[in-house]
Amino acid sequence: MAPPIYSALIISLGLGTTMTFASTHWYLAWMGIEINTLAIIPLMSQNHIPRATEATTKYFFAQATASATLLFASISNAFLTGEWDILQTPNTLTYSLITLALAMKIGLAPLHSWMPEVMQGLSLLTGLILSTWQKLAPLYLIYQIQPTNSNIFIVLGLLSIIVGGWGGFNQVQLRKILAYSSIAHLGWMILILSFSPPLALLTILIYLLMTFSLFSSFMLTRATHINSLATTWAKIPILTISTPLILLSLGGLPPLTGFMPKWLILQELTKQDLAPIATLAALSSLFSLYFYLRLSYAMTLTMPPNNPAGTLPWRLNPRHNTTLMSLATTSTICLLPVTPAIMAMLPL
Amino acid sequence: MTPAHFAFSSAFMLGLAGLAFHRTHFISALLCLEGLMLSLFIALSLWTELFNLTHNSASMPMILLAFSACEAGTGLALLVATTRTHSTNRLKNLNLLQC
Repeated sequence: MAPPIYSALIISLGLGTTMTFASTHWYLAWMGIEINTLAIIPLMSQNHIPRATEATTKYFFAQATASATLLFASISNAFLTGEWDILQTPNTLTYSLITLALAMKIGLAPLHSWMPEVMQGLSLLTGLILSTWQKLAPLYLIYQIQPTNSNIFIVLGLLSIIVGGWGGFNQVQLRKILAYSSIAHLGWMILILSFSPPLALLTILIYLLMTFSLFSSFMLTRATHINSLATTWAKIPILTISTPLILLSLGGLPPLTGFMPKWLILQELTKQDLAPIATLAALSSLFSLYFYLRLSYAMTLTMPPNNPAGTLPWRLNPRHNTTLMSLATTSTICLLPVTPAIMAMLPL
Repeated sequence: MTPAHFAFSSAFMLGLAGLAFHRTHFISALLCLEGLMLSLFIALSLWTELFNLTHNSASMPMILLAFSACEAGTGLALLVATTRTHSTNRLKNLNLLQC
């Protein structure tokens, strides 16, 4: 793509999210979200292959519907209460509609069907932008509307954790696995949102970190299928050590950073007398752990003299700058001991 | 719920149902999307007329029109791109990315 067009699109992506972050008026927030959607569409279909075009079409429909519903709910709220301010507690019906529209924006169950297919059709870099940057603006809006009634959030959250785990069970395509993992993590985030918004913020940040490191690892080896993971030992041997640790961190195992949000969320839910929900959420994240372990197995535990699961590729020079990736990977693996410091930094 | 609110709400819900249940053609989905945006345009204009008597937010419908036009253009570009790669605008043909 020509550099002026490419930079205009990237700047528009930044502009959209910034507008949503800076706004207190629903209309301006909606405009920021629309700019984000419009800016990423050419980025998604830039290589003009059929899969990318199909993914872009599905993404466009899902996001356009969700944006229209968001604006409809805001206008209904203006008709019913005369208020366009995001921080004023809106009418209950429009509030639920706004939450559902934003849930469709980020891909929470039961409005998640577009997510795996869209992620499958994109390149890894665009998939990374889709799972990290595009989630920021709607999540900020959900965070700001100060949820008081927790029922809808618990339902969305639990369904997303279960669907995110169960849906990824049978997948061999890495991008679909990443889509389902995104659904599951967003489920954890939404689950705790009505009880402790700072914990939801922590979950978002840790999730962004972990997803960024995982996508970067896959981008280094251009892996899109479990078979291509199996030849990582031949290309970049250090990744066979770091990527399983990132995957286990995504699964939420204790000495790694990914345990931090799950632990704090379970603790908060127990304090709110919702122990059965906490148990259900914890058990459902075992599904996700299963397919993360399968990826780790394919990557690390199938080295010679065992039968490798794929053929050896040519070893070409990696062209990526790995500074950010190494920072993110280290944070994904080693940040659990500084939990008290992180908790002190959040507005708890 | 005032009559105006009911009017645009029902228009929006009909358009949303059309968008959710479209079965054959891509372009019918795009038309329903345009219908959604039209109902929102009418809603914003009505709000300015009925409730915002100082008319200081009278530019809201026009900005909505601009964004809706951009979205329609994007949708049509995607229709053309889909017809080029998938040879048809039938929705059953968008099956390359199945699980």
